[in-house]
Amino acid sequence: MEKSLVTLDNGTTCSSWNYNGERLATGSVDGTLAIFDSIDPASSSFTCTSRSRVHEDSVVKVVWVPPEYGDAVGCICADGTLSLWEEVVEDAQPLQWKLCKSFGSNSNKVLDVQFGVSPTSLKMVSAYSDGHVKVYELLDPLELKSWQLQAEFQNASDSVSTFGKALCLSASVSWNPQRGESQQSSFVLGFHSDTPQLNSAKVWEFDQNHQRWLPVAELALHGDKGDQVFTVAWAPNIGRPYEVMAVATHKGIAIWHLGLNPDIDGRLSVERVALLSGHDGEVWQMEWDMSGMTLATTGGDGMVRLWQSNLNGVWHEQAALEPTS
Amino acid sequence: MATSKAPPSHSLQIHRLPQSQYIDAVRFLPAFSGLDRFAVLALFDTHSSSPSLQIHSLPKSTPPSLNLQSSLSLSSRVSSLSLSLSAHKPLIAASTFSGSLHILLLDFDASVQSEFSVPEKSLHVGAISCVDLQESGVECVSVGEDGRVNLVAFGDGSRLSYRRVWDSDGLVSYTAAKWASPTEFATGGFGFGLQWWDLRKPGGPVSQFKGNWAQRTTSGIVHSIDIHPSRKHTCLAGGSLGTVFAWDLRWQQQPIILSGVGTSEVATHSPCESEVWEVKYDPYMRTSNFGNMSSSRILPAMLCSEDGILAVVEQGEEPIELLAEPCAINSFDIDRQNPSDVICSLEWESIAILSRP
Amino acid sequence: MPGLTADSGNALVPLSPEAHVSVVYPLHHGLKPPISRLSISWSRGNALRVSVFRELPAESSDSDGEAGGKVVQVKLGVADGEVDDAQWRRIAYGSVSPFALLQSRRNSVLALSKMSMSSSPYHPDWWEYVMEYSKDISSLLDNAKSLPNSMIDDPKTVLKKVEEPTCLKAAWGLLEIFYADKESQAWLPERIVDWLADYDVLFSGTQATVHSKLVEFQKEIVRLQVIEDDPRYWEVITSALAVGWLEIVVKLLRLHGSYQLDQLSNRETENGLVEAVAILISKMPRMRPELEAGRLGECFKTKPDFIKAWEKWRAQITKLDCSSFWVQCDHRQTREGLRNMLQLMLGNTNNLCTSTCHWIELYISHFLYVRPFTVGLESMHALAQKCIQLKPISSSHRLMGLIVGILGENTEVVLAECSRAFGPWMVAHAIELLTAGSDQAEIILQEGRDNLGGISIEELHRLIYAQVLSSHALTWQIAPIYLTSCMKQGMGLLEVLLYKQPVQDNQMLLKTTEICRLYDLESISSSIMKIAGVYHWKHGRKGSGVFWLQQARDEFRLNRIAQQLFDFVGRSISDESFKQWEGLIELLGSESKIAGGLDFLHKYRDFKKSLQQVQVGKTTDAAQQAVESLISLMRNPSTPQRFWLPLLHDSLKLLSWQERPLLNANQTNLLLNKLQELSMARLRPDFIEANLPPQALSSVRLALATNLGRAILEE
Repeated sequence: MEKSLVTLDNGTTCSSWNYNGERLATGSVDGTLAIFDSIDPASSSFTCTSRSRVHEDSVVKVVWVPPEYGDAVGCICADGTLSLWEEVVEDAQPLQWKLCKSFGSNSNKVLDVQFGVSPTSLKMVSAYSDGHVKVYELLDPLELKSWQLQAEFQNASDSVSTFGKALCLSASVSWNPQRGESQQSSFVLGFHSDTPQLNSAKVWEFDQNHQRWLPVAELALHGDKGDQVFTVAWAPNIGRPYEVMAVATHKGIAIWHLGLNPDIDGRLSVERVALLSGHDGEVWQMEWDMSGMTLATTGGDGMVRLWQSNLNGVWHEQAALEPTS
Repeated sequence: MATSKAPPSHSLQIHRLPQSQYIDAVRFLPAFSGLDRFAVLALFDTHSSSPSLQIHSLPKSTPPSLNLQSSLSLSSRVSSLSLSLSAHKPLIAASTFSGSLHILLLDFDASVQSEFSVPEKSLHVGAISCVDLQESGVECVSVGEDGRVNLVAFGDGSRLSYRRVWDSDGLVSYTAAKWASPTEFATGGFGFGLQWWDLRKPGGPVSQFKGNWAQRTTSGIVHSIDIHPSRKHTCLAGGSLGTVFAWDLRWQQQPIILSGVGTSEVATHSPCESEVWEVKYDPYMRTSNFGNMSSSRILPAMLCSEDGILAVVEQGEEPIELLAEPCAINSFDIDRQNPSDVICSLEWESIAILSRP
Repeated sequence: MPGLTADSGNALVPLSPEAHVSVVYPLHHGLKPPISRLSISWSRGNALRVSVFRELPAESSDSDGEAGGKVVQVKLGVADGEVDDAQWRRIAYGSVSPFALLQSRRNSVLALSKMSMSSSPYHPDWWEYVMEYSKDISSLLDNAKSLPNSMIDDPKTVLKKVEEPTCLKAAWGLLEIFYADKESQAWLPERIVDWLADYDVLFSGTQATVHSKLVEFQKEIVRLQVIEDDPRYWEVITSALAVGWLEIVVKLLRLHGSYQLDQLSNRETENGLVEAVAILISKMPRMRPELEAGRLGECFKTKPDFIKAWEKWRAQITKLDCSSFWVQCDHRQTREGLRNMLQLMLGNTNNLCTSTCHWIELYISHFLYVRPFTVGLESMHALAQKCIQLKPISSSHRLMGLIVGILGENTEVVLAECSRAFGPWMVAHAIELLTAGSDQAEIILQEGRDNLGGISIEELHRLIYAQVLSSHALTWQIAPIYLTSCMKQGMGLLEVLLYKQPVQDNQMLLKTTEICRLYDLESISSSIMKIAGVYHWKHGRKGSGVFWLQQARDEFRLNRIAQQLFDFVGRSISDESFKQWEGLIELLGSESKIAGGLDFLHKYRDFKKSLQQVQVGKTTDAAQQAVESLISLMRNPSTPQRFWLPLLHDSLKLLSWQERPLLNANQTNLLLNKLQELSMARLRPDFIEANLPPQALSSVRLALATNLGRAILEE
């Protein structure tokens, strides 16, 4: 049933496939970024084509930049720095991975970063350990050096009040995967912090008219709003009349439906359609398949679990994969 | 002789042979001995991700069958395949996506006598788009999207030597190449561009053809070039949008369009609308008075396309459709000794063999 | 439904033939534990990639020589041991044309019925199209390797060796019999008899069958001296008779010792009885329109004719059974064996039950000898239940679930069984047969459901199958055929699928954009070409980068590229390397409208060329032409300001032409004004200084001033 694709270097801590599954980027404990490629089209045999030292500290997360902006990754390191690396040929030098931009850390660590494509530009959302969120915009589509800070806010439904001295362990950002021309930029974000107001997953949408980000929905039941969020995942929508999202907390994995039409206040209707338990503990990662029908998750129990809804709309665990030697 | 051979039937015969592997390219081996004929298949097994080059015998039986004679595994998929006869022994040049070039000298029983190769990264950066062996098989030209044009010579000492003819540093990419004479060859690339090279005049192409004819709204890529030994001044090219055109060096900037959807008047004659992957003069199609034919008239040509068409096009005539498949036809070859027979590779992992009446 | 829970049937994506809730599958990675963490990623379609990271050894990080991790890919829901990967792909390729043809026929029939305002949505002969489709699909399901047919007819070979059929084909055959083939409704029992004759072998794997008995006996035949003494001979004959394999029965009977020439004389009566039974068997009335050549029995198309013949035949059997010749038959085994057969033919349930193995064989024997007029699924279902009770089975075969589902007239169960046992390909294609079966099934399968996000079950299964196709590099191109037959979500998934195709190789990229062209997906096509353009541009293939961005009509990026090109050209303006740019400018020139500011480079190239001619030929004509180019460049608003000085500096020779001033006063003034503008601009902080000698500006100014003087004098 399974097929081995890549053998990873010693000390590898994280990995990320690019948008079409043709390239793999991995980060390791010694700060190395390794890239694996297949030589031939349609081949499933991958070899390492590049190893570069991106930092002295361990790489904890690698995120690919959308392909319209080149072959580039963002690397988050253990000390909370973020750097962007790009594969380019420049000035008669051979192909290599080059540093384009470094977002240094002062006191606040970068916890998560995700890129979103809007019709006109590339946007980058980064979530920080003090509970702040920054949205950057790329100025030149061919230069990953030039970023402009577009907005900075906290993950609170009430955008007026601010919460000082928040301490966050982790954050999770997931962009709306839709790439349509008319689509507004939007993403969902949740924190694992000591400040209850910041934790719950909120859907943020860019208000084009006023050039600002607004929270349009909160994905938590009334009593669960302070629950720390492990991870969030926005499902691709190939034609459903509502959006589907998954939010993982210590209570389990919640599946949410999000309405598409805002009310007078600009809020979107939400409905929790399922609460699934399985990983008993932390949920590390959640990924939707390309149709948005199957959710794959991993967690502290070391299992991969697959979730689906049946013909009656009831969500359940369809299968689990247990890694063994 | 091939021409005197009675055709086995009065109608077109088509046989499809499934292969269970993707076929990157297919060629007939020029007949060199005995009664058997052979075909060379460049294959890719997606399950094990292993590419190979296979030589099959192809007895003239009905239904035809492919019988594996020898197989050679390669490190990368074949991007282009060219065959010729050198000292009466067939020579195969295969270029790969990793950029390596493999030259195989075959023995009289179609087994591989010796193999020579140029490793990746020495000729091109990245994939080699196209290789073409000279008729005599002494030199092989290789082109790539990196903008390099190389010559690989197969010397007497059974050694390969190579030199760079041109390097455009990626500003111009080449996707096709074909020899016209021992010192001249043509290349093709993006924007329906064609270049004519003369080794006696180094320092770039001696002539260029720009694809900006007739206010086309969209442009395309040349995928394949053929040059007829008796018409060395004419370069036949096939590419995007069902386009097949000829570039006569004597009338530099006006292409003769045989097929294509981009231009209104020829569109009705166009047998296909998508990429023409390969184009070749068709020696089987005889125009009634070949000898008296004006040398500016283009000889009949066969094409295969992404929309599954194998057809013969001729200037001013309705195209003759030989095959209309539900999947792409990626490459074909005409049996030089027996030009009624055509072999082609289909996207859906099979080979089709055609026998024309 | 018997033996079916809602859970196993309702899953959207069947993960394996035996998927139940939370089945745990092992995922082998071959790493030495402990494992520190996992990471997951969906590839195209239903392929899931799992990265497994090993915990770093505490002390020495690289001494144990073990890999630091593995990435393992799992394809969900396509495991089937019966048909290998390559064969599956062949089936997938082959199904495209029949499926597409049927869809287009449906569309035209629907269009026609709309025009004629007819009440029935379908053509009265719609099922004929479905049958054609069914036959086409069925022909794909044979085993790849077929055995060569032996030319010599060996009398002792009772069971011809044929290729082993697939369960897949057997299942398809069943669906065809029950749903698509309207013509066979009148003689359904006979169709099932034929079906079992073809596929009984499939049940031999899990338990004894009539077929497996025959195979066993076939091995023995050559060793048996007096065949009729062996009780197995009679057992096998009766079993074969029970399931209606009349040819085999007659062939076996003719092996009876009494037929041998040396024995004929003293076993006359015995031989006569054997032959009489053989004749009765070969004259068995069958309620069916026809039989293939070589098959035994007499066909009757209409029920009254058949009943008459059937009663006559039974009367003959009874008569023979009561005949006095039996007493004269000395051979006990023959006597008992033959009379057993007669009892069986008369429909003695006990005999039928003992001579069959599997319940389906017993079921068939009932159709043949007890209830040949069984009509209607309800009574067929009741009979099946009875047979299952008589012959309970320990392990359920995947075909059994399907049969029971069909007889139970429950479309959803049939679909669930197809999905569970045969996977997404089967369901996506079998729906065509099911909807042809009844209006009710059509409603169930084609109505939109809120629980599925508004799509119908039919669409759901097409989406699932398309996803399976998408996960393989060689089959993804087929997926659009199925996706475009989906009313609601197909195009959405198609766009996602196309977007995820690799762009590095031109041939693959063009195959993708060709699909975009076929389905008018221009925006997706331009996104893909945009990605390709950026990829090539950044990877040192500037020419193809520009080409693809032009194809994508991405003016935004092309303008940025124009700026970058200017930088390059600006630096190497007097360089020989400019010649290399010619090819690129050539490419841009063909589509200057889209190329944005790149248009300037084209003009610049022309200017450079004429300037070169001046260097070589030194003719005043050539120089005059170069001046015209210069003026047109300087007038053109798309010429970037930072090129003004380099252009003028390059033209110094023209500005101070020996023979006569080449520029008139107006032209010279224009250039002087530009120079003035440039001096002003130099004061701004963002001004980019050209890479020229420091005295360049003054020497140009001097040359222009001189020229102005000469021009005024001349005018």
